[in-house]
Amino acid sequence: MEREEERMTVAAIKVENITFAYGDLEAVRGVSFEVAPGEILGFLGPNGAGKSTTIKILTGQLTPKSGTAQVLGVDVTADDPEMQSQIGVCFEEKNLYDSMSGSENLKFYASLFGIKDVDTVELLRRVGLADRAKDRVAKYSKGMKQRLMMARTLVNTPKVLFLDEPTDGLDPVSSQAIRKLIQQEADRGAAVLLTTHDMNEADELSNRLAFINEGQLYAIDTPEALKLKHGKRSIRVRSRDGAGVREQIVSLEESGAGEVLRSAVGSPDLMTIHTEEATLEAIFIQMTGRGLEG
Amino acid sequence: MSRPVSRASIIGSIVKKDLTEYSRDRLWMFLTLLVLVFMIVIFWVLPDRVDESIPVGISGLGDPAVMAGLETTEEEGLRLVGFDSADDLRSVVAGQADAWQIDGRVVVIPDDSDTKKPAGAEKANVDVGLAFPSDFLAATAAGNRATVEIFVDAQVPEELKSSMSSLVKELAFAVAGSPLPVDTANPQEVYTVLGQDRAGNQVTPRESFRPLLVFLVLLMEMFGMSSLIAREVQTKTVTALLVTPATTGDVLAAKGIAGVVLGLGQAVILLAAIDVLGNQPLLIITLMLLGAVMVSGAAMVAGSLGRDFLSNLFYGMIFMVPLMIPAFTVLFPGTATGWIRALPSYPLVQGLVKVATYGDGWAEVLPDVGALLAWCVALFVLGWFVLRRKVETL
Repeated sequence: MEREEERMTVAAIKVENITFAYGDLEAVRGVSFEVAPGEILGFLGPNGAGKSTTIKILTGQLTPKSGTAQVLGVDVTADDPEMQSQIGVCFEEKNLYDSMSGSENLKFYASLFGIKDVDTVELLRRVGLADRAKDRVAKYSKGMKQRLMMARTLVNTPKVLFLDEPTDGLDPVSSQAIRKLIQQEADRGAAVLLTTHDMNEADELSNRLAFINEGQLYAIDTPEALKLKHGKRSIRVRSRDGAGVREQIVSLEESGAGEVLRSAVGSPDLMTIHTEEATLEAIFIQMTGRGLEG
Repeated sequence: MSRPVSRASIIGSIVKKDLTEYSRDRLWMFLTLLVLVFMIVIFWVLPDRVDESIPVGISGLGDPAVMAGLETTEEEGLRLVGFDSADDLRSVVAGQADAWQIDGRVVVIPDDSDTKKPAGAEKANVDVGLAFPSDFLAATAAGNRATVEIFVDAQVPEELKSSMSSLVKELAFAVAGSPLPVDTANPQEVYTVLGQDRAGNQVTPRESFRPLLVFLVLLMEMFGMSSLIAREVQTKTVTALLVTPATTGDVLAAKGIAGVVLGLGQAVILLAAIDVLGNQPLLIITLMLLGAVMVSGAAMVAGSLGRDFLSNLFYGMIFMVPLMIPAFTVLFPGTATGWIRALPSYPLVQGLVKVATYGDGWAEVLPDVGALLAWCVALFVLGWFVLRRKVETL
């Protein structure tokens, strides 16, 4: 309850109408949103939609052409070391030092934050790499490197996390481990901006979702609200009918829907019941005219 | 928890990381050590003295007294080697035979002979020969004309050929007991040596090679450093640095410091190994420090432009070739033309030569230090600008 109040009053990330262009190509066009502490905002969009550019602007790597963006109340163009010391960024590229061990990578990054007593063992344990701490990163698999990237992101216990496709190309086990970690960080109170083009990941993790395509935000809301708003309020009931299968669509808008459902649930011929809510991908396509894998 | 961290601490961390990475790069570590050892070995293998005398072969003067008289000319830079016959002398000067000196006599062995050189014999390199006729003494004493054959190798300078003619004439006059037909108004000769008199103390090949060896080590560092920078840019690890409290300035400063530490470190090891630090060590280290800064600037440019090992090598070569030229001019004195003097590495090489070879001090080398400092600033600023632009556009 207290956190809800905090969300309403203080935004960890506040973006107002930012734009950015690579030459003639407008990568971000008038994007506005906020992320509260403890909230995970999923940025859902296909490749080239403007997700990474937005993160680069918010982390001070790019300067917006117009609009304002603040992280922890500090203008991102101010190049403020105090603000930088409280953010964690997980890049899409595996930009680690291959000739150094996992532990050495973490110690080096910790030193940039002025942290001398970083517990690398604990950080590596959290991402399942404790037993590979002394191995050079060059020997790590892609999944291990990604997990080390996450550990590096957390080295300064950041208040704001920018995660750019943190599970891209990973096996299901590694993906799940990283998702769990992201949820733990949000539970700790960190604001998380998560870019992804994986609708399941977005659905599972995000408190709110933003649909972005061609640099524009098309929608921003909770996953449930988006599904309800754009999906059908109906239920598909499948039951045995002699040797065949009978399928019935029950609209929840109709007055007798409850009775129909009770009857179906009590029937020995009932096989399955499914809600007819739209998938996030379907909503995305419906809104942008483009799929998420583009 | 993170706490406020100083710029120095951040830069120190990045420098430490860079040096760790460099030390773990097997290729560059191997090349660095190889070049260092190779340079030290080359230096100590090179001759450390210059033979200033000119070996002149003599034949046909059987009288030992005359030979003894002639040997007084050795003070003038001639070393006489007596041959038994004009044919032997001709074949040695022509390069068709070798002359070996042992126990005061000369043994001539033709190239097509199977005869082994006498044990303990020293080779006599004779480029000029004077073949006197057997009646030379009698003829000149009687005032008659005698013909002396002068054999010269094709490489012998014209001045030496004419001086041989003069020597023969002088000898003839001496034997004939007549004075030279030259009226010397003032027999008192006064030599005025302009600059340091190096007579008897010529610059040896070992000394000539010093600047080149030191420069090669600095250039190796340039390649190594540019490779490190290129990798940081290409793998985008530099962007991961810039989302921490580290600024672009911190990263660039760290690259510069790491480059200077690597370059200066290797140069000082080499200088100590080739016995240069004995005279004016502070001045020499100052010169090398500026040299290391200069090549670090070049490494920043090459590292920013290169996309892989080969392109990195290519851009490195663009800097290496012109920077090497002044070091080569030391090997060939008098070849430093105006445009060579305008190259950034010229004041470094010049300063090094002045201190290490001629024993000059701060006063004499200060103009070179000033010029080198100006070049250092220019190249480092250029490197800083190019690398910053690269980093900011990643």
